Amino acid sequence: MKSRFLFSHKYKPLGWFLFLIGLIFGIVLVIYDFDYFNLEIKVFPLIGESGVFSVNRSLEWSTNNIADELVAIFIIVGGILVAFSKTKDEDEYISKIRMESLIWATYVNYGVLILAVLLVFDLSFFSVLIYNMFTVLLFFIIRFHYVLYKSKKVIEDEE
Amino acid sequence: MKNKIKVERAIINITQAKLAEMIGVSRQTVNAMELNKYVPSTVLALKISKIFNKPVNEIFFLEAKD
Repeated sequence: MKSRFLFSHKYKPLGWFLFLIGLIFGIVLVIYDFDYFNLEIKVFPLIGESGVFSVNRSLEWSTNNIADELVAIFIIVGGILVAFSKTKDEDEYISKIRMESLIWATYVNYGVLILAVLLVFDLSFFSVLIYNMFTVLLFFIIRFHYVLYKSKKVIEDEE
Repeated sequence: MKNKIKVERAIINITQAKLAEMIGVSRQTVNAMELNKYVPSTVLALKISKIFNKPVNEIFFLEAKD
């Protein structure tokens, strides 16, 4: 079956690799410190400021520890590849599960976000925003693979 | 919609896995159709009818609620 917008199945292992590496190092950064790894390099901020928290001015060279940037890109690129690479036997029924899982994940993600908006404030809410960058992908990946696993299990139980 | 895929499959004596392979879908899809959990596309219904050598409406049936 032709399915638009999906990657070939062969990218799935690469996706898992990037995603898990990103998650592991992301957890390390969250538990210890965002400057736990020292990857200070020159950066060119498109949008910046010079305030209490930051001395990165717009469109001027400055330095930044890019550990968190790398982790974010690993999780996002890996997560996209895991989520949207075809399964080995992608067909119309699996596409239906895929679409339903995507809708489900979007609802759950924004449900959680609404709760956080109502119950989390100030700087703690900043952490919510960080997690929220990745949770749609995470919820989708969990739900999609769980439903696939369940439908495979039904077949095995019949044998 | 209901269907007689399971019965037809028994008549020509093939497994779910074999039917899945013949019509180019996953085993989950065949299983979900037999359990009436999934309504196949017209393309898939026509492929199934070709395998069983019967018209589509002798394999798939509308129900009152459809």
